[in-house]
Amino acid sequence: MPILELHNLKKYFATQKAVDDISFSVERGQIFGLLGPNGAGKTTLIRMITGIFYPDEGQIIFDGKKFDPVNDVAYIGYMPEERGLYKKMKIGEQTLYLAQLKGLSKADALKKIKQWFIRFEMESWWNKKVEDLSKGMSQKLQFVTTVLHEPKLIILDEPFSGLDPVNSNLIKDEIFNLAKNGSTIIFSTHRMEQVEEICDHIVLVNKGNKILDGTVKQIKQDFKENLFSIGAEQIASLNGEEPFEIVGTKNHSHIVRIKEGSKPNDVLQYLLNKGISIHSFNEILPSLNDIFIKLVEGTPTARQFQKI
Amino acid sequence: MHKIWLIIKREYLTRVRKKTFIISTLLFPLLYLALIFGMGYIAEKSRQHLNVAVIDSSGYFTAEALEKQNSIDNSSTLTYIKDSADKIITDHKAAGYDGYILIQAIDWQSAKTESLQFKSNKSYGSGTTAGVEAKLNRIWNEVKNQKLGIDVEKSNILTNSRISLLATNIKDEAADAKTAESIAFTCGLLIYLILLIYGSQVMMGVMEEKTNRIAEVIVSSVKPFQMMLGKILGIGMVALTQFFLWIAFVFIVYNIGKASGSGGMANAMVGNMQAMFSSVNVPLILFCFGFYFLAGFFFYASLYGAIGSAVNEDMREAQSLSFPITMLVVLSIAIMTSTIANPTSPIAVWASIIPFSSPIVMMARIPFGVPNTVPWWQLGLSMASLIIGFIITVWFAGKIYRTGILMYGKKPSWKEMLRWAFRKN
Repeated sequence: MPILELHNLKKYFATQKAVDDISFSVERGQIFGLLGPNGAGKTTLIRMITGIFYPDEGQIIFDGKKFDPVNDVAYIGYMPEERGLYKKMKIGEQTLYLAQLKGLSKADALKKIKQWFIRFEMESWWNKKVEDLSKGMSQKLQFVTTVLHEPKLIILDEPFSGLDPVNSNLIKDEIFNLAKNGSTIIFSTHRMEQVEEICDHIVLVNKGNKILDGTVKQIKQDFKENLFSIGAEQIASLNGEEPFEIVGTKNHSHIVRIKEGSKPNDVLQYLLNKGISIHSFNEILPSLNDIFIKLVEGTPTARQFQKI
Repeated sequence: MHKIWLIIKREYLTRVRKKTFIISTLLFPLLYLALIFGMGYIAEKSRQHLNVAVIDSSGYFTAEALEKQNSIDNSSTLTYIKDSADKIITDHKAAGYDGYILIQAIDWQSAKTESLQFKSNKSYGSGTTAGVEAKLNRIWNEVKNQKLGIDVEKSNILTNSRISLLATNIKDEAADAKTAESIAFTCGLLIYLILLIYGSQVMMGVMEEKTNRIAEVIVSSVKPFQMMLGKILGIGMVALTQFFLWIAFVFIVYNIGKASGSGGMANAMVGNMQAMFSSVNVPLILFCFGFYFLAGFFFYASLYGAIGSAVNEDMREAQSLSFPITMLVVLSIAIMTSTIANPTSPIAVWASIIPFSSPIVMMARIPFGVPNTVPWWQLGLSMASLIIGFIITVWFAGKIYRTGILMYGKKPSWKEMLRWAFRKN
């Protein structure tokens, strides 16, 4: 049973169809990428999932039941893209306050805060104020406040922005860890290399519509262009009968596209028969970045206002 | 409910623990006392001593008469000039006078006012020359008395025997107008200050949450309405705490003054306060003050909160949007001043029933006496309409708040905010 199912969600604002009929489901324990260009409707979608907005139409099923914002928000952790903490409040008190707002008892919250602070080496921060922290430090704090109440569903909007590689890895490891322990993570970002590295499943939205939905592996297969990189000596005398065509060279490798109806083995066969020595042969799968750009390209970069 | 309580606690504790709260709580009574005593002191200090040359050709204003007046009142010195009149007219400064008065022949039988001029290089207000005028009038009266053959005894009968009229409410003997006026003024002014100061604190608090983007984190845990209500209640409790501390301060000063029994000013103050407390219904006034203070605060704070949620970090936007609200409070204080002069006039009655002005205006009427000046039905109607009023503003503000707190970009107009308020869900 998926942890979250969205059925035909719609949310229209005065001048925009922010979310226009989007459905997808997120499986338990998955790291799920919610992608899309700026203004695609991601934030609106997330705000409906976190109970901040009510959808105009459609249904949200959370953990097998109709989503009930008042009670279910205790099982959701949300880290918005624009980080927010009280600047003048002491860090310990603030973390405790946010945890209690999520429904934890004081004793329980204190115990968990202590554990997380030790894990992230933040013990000395307790009596400091947020305004004393650097951007990266407050990011770590924000992450802790998001996951502290052990939510079933964690929504992270650009969690790595502003973090150095060391702290990025720390957070990344925690994300894997949380997923391993049964939490589901929805991960919203523009950084495609992170998506490829972390996510199992992605959904791409643009202009309020879902335009792509699948596992990272599957999507890459779907968008592959039968390109291979062959590391070999000069491939000479092409006569048009080979099972491939050369489309370019890169780093002393030939980039070839296999012709329709042929298989990679045919290519190798052909080259071996020609007596060409091969030292590498790799399939080139499109990067998510390329797929993203390809799909989103052609639509105006900024969303236009529209009449509804 | 539990979550609202958490929010109230946070709003309350973070504010009460701030140094500015402690300082302002201590400083306000001191400033208030300083203001009262300081004003008297400044008035005393700023009174000028006038050195006036009197050039008399009427023959009535003699050197002896002037000398006698100078000994009665030393705030000015009148000097009779005989020989060097020309020199003084050309340059009184050099002769050591602030100015001079030229008196021509006066007909003592005339029934008209005689205008004299105090000629000087500087401008003086009537407050400064009043003393000189009084002296001249006393001399003139003596002259007239003498001419008419009125002796001192008869003259005393003429000037001192007069009729004084004091408005007394026969049903409510305790309602002494003077005391009621000063209590009414203090209550109205305190509510005015609380509405403006703590109302804008609510606005700033909401703006802080919006610009820090903490609002988005919090509304993923609690409903925006709870968040707003928690803030208003929390800040309301801060105001209440400050108010109780001030009452405690007054009682401590009162009791110390009474116990020490030392004479002079402290004693006089204790006496005044005792007279004040015995002449009015203290429990009723305190209860009403608490009610109008809280209900009025809810009424205005929710509006200020709604504005805070609608604007961005720009203070000017907030000011321009909150201007109409602030004007309502200022208008109330304007009505209050006329109410104190005439607590049963129609404008006072209506302004004390209509919610926006009732917190200040009704509080200015109650010290004059319930149920004689303010009938019970008026008090009841006023309270009921204020409760309904604040329920409406809180509801309305909640609607605006929910949309505004997550909306960034252009400042909305009042029209747009109204649209948010009446939109479904």
